Amino acid sequence: MMIERKFSRRNFLKTAGAFTAAAALGGIPYELFASGRRLVRFPEKTDLILLTSRPPQLETPVDYFKQYITPNEAVFVRWHISNIPTSVDLNQWRLKVDGNIEKKLTLSIEDIRKFEKVSYTAVIQCSGNSRSFFEPRVAGGQWENGAMGNVTWTGARLKDILDKAGLKAGSIDVSFNGLDAPPLASVPDVVKSLPVDKALEEDIIVAYGMNGADLPMLNGFPARLIVPGWYATYWVKSLSDITVLSKPFDGFWVKSAYRIPDAPCGCVPPGSTPKKTVPINRMTTRSLIISPGSNAIIALKQPVKIMGIAFSGGYGIRDVIVSVNGGKSWDEANLGEQRGKYSWTQWSYTWRPSTPGEYVLMARATDTIGGSQPLDSIWNPAGYLWNRIEKTTVVVK
Amino acid sequence: MKISFSVFVIIAIFMAAALSHAASGNAVHSIELPKIAVELRAGEGNETTGRFCNICHSLDYITMQPPFSTAQWTATVNKMIKVMGAPIAEDDAKAIINYLTAEYGTGK
Repeated sequence: MMIERKFSRRNFLKTAGAFTAAAALGGIPYELFASGRRLVRFPEKTDLILLTSRPPQLETPVDYFKQYITPNEAVFVRWHISNIPTSVDLNQWRLKVDGNIEKKLTLSIEDIRKFEKVSYTAVIQCSGNSRSFFEPRVAGGQWENGAMGNVTWTGARLKDILDKAGLKAGSIDVSFNGLDAPPLASVPDVVKSLPVDKALEEDIIVAYGMNGADLPMLNGFPARLIVPGWYATYWVKSLSDITVLSKPFDGFWVKSAYRIPDAPCGCVPPGSTPKKTVPINRMTTRSLIISPGSNAIIALKQPVKIMGIAFSGGYGIRDVIVSVNGGKSWDEANLGEQRGKYSWTQWSYTWRPSTPGEYVLMARATDTIGGSQPLDSIWNPAGYLWNRIEKTTVVVK
Repeated sequence: MKISFSVFVIIAIFMAAALSHAASGNAVHSIELPKIAVELRAGEGNETTGRFCNICHSLDYITMQPPFSTAQWTATVNKMIKVMGAPIAEDDAKAIINYLTAEYGTGK
């Protein structure tokens, strides 16, 4: 009753709600006014952009990316099937490790906390982030740029847990299941897998801490897998089962879903069907201009700070170049703090426009192994790997 | 002696109760999800579409999609049936595809 009232009031006052968020952030979430999307508040989350409610898909307003670390309450939400966990009793919850191992494990959250604690900052990004910009348009969650965030994760190494279980010879894949369940028996449960060599990498953790606090329920309480540098489809939420397999995993969510064309660009000509696909994996390198926003009015002959973020699939960022004239010339931006190779960096560039008119601002990031961003978008049927050089048009008066 | 023993037992019972309460109270973490109503546009097939699609997901899964052609909506509905396990008979699927193309598609 209270919830319904809150929502109808929120609907009615959606513009006011946007202004409230804007006041808190010091900027207008301009994207909302342009697209007619609306803000909603789910438990343990702040006002986020509603894509779908059951299962929930909630997008972060990009103004939050003016902050180096994305607050837990603002991190995007994405579930696949509708029976999502809404209550977890830590006295009952256990992480079970089974399969091709020497010793089955049944770990409480306290047991997981007893493993060596590992902490790092890493970008979490949905495979389909920015999908709504693909042309021709593709089916799926119609995200703009807010299905990502930069978070400090704390947990136990997956490798340490697997070492304790003792992998037997002939292990090929490791699968991960969470507490979410299908609404009908005919619907495939969300189970993901990693090749065993990948699963044993040092940096993959089972995280119970998110920016120094518990994970919000909608972000995978009490623990989720973190595969830094790779898209979040592998970061299984509310993890409950780890299974070591002696044959290749053949579940729907790896065998059929979350796949990209088997080509270096992960792309095919727009509108065409790939002949061969592979599971999506490492994130592409990308940057985003956060401020000024699209169609902002800039004061003539005054210094204006252009700022944004840049990150890669685990290779850090070497440089970011900025253009204020639609790509005719480029200049190097200043890079801010970068907490390790998985974190994003914030960059800035001070511009003093001397002539009135319309300007196209652009930014291009390059990672430490030379990976960068294309001028024109790649295309694939599922709308993954978006990393085009973004353009922000502003007006100088 | 008797009295102090009784007092000890009572205190022990209270402490045990308090501890177990604290343990269970801290251990259960719950949220309540909001219910957000989505109205599909009026049109032939509106009721059938709402009834079947709503079994597994909220209807904003439909309303957020860009306008698709008959071929694209057919592919999406077929994926829901063949891949995602939606229990939709052929006639109902046809009605749903026609509705989606007319109201949330290119009309052709």
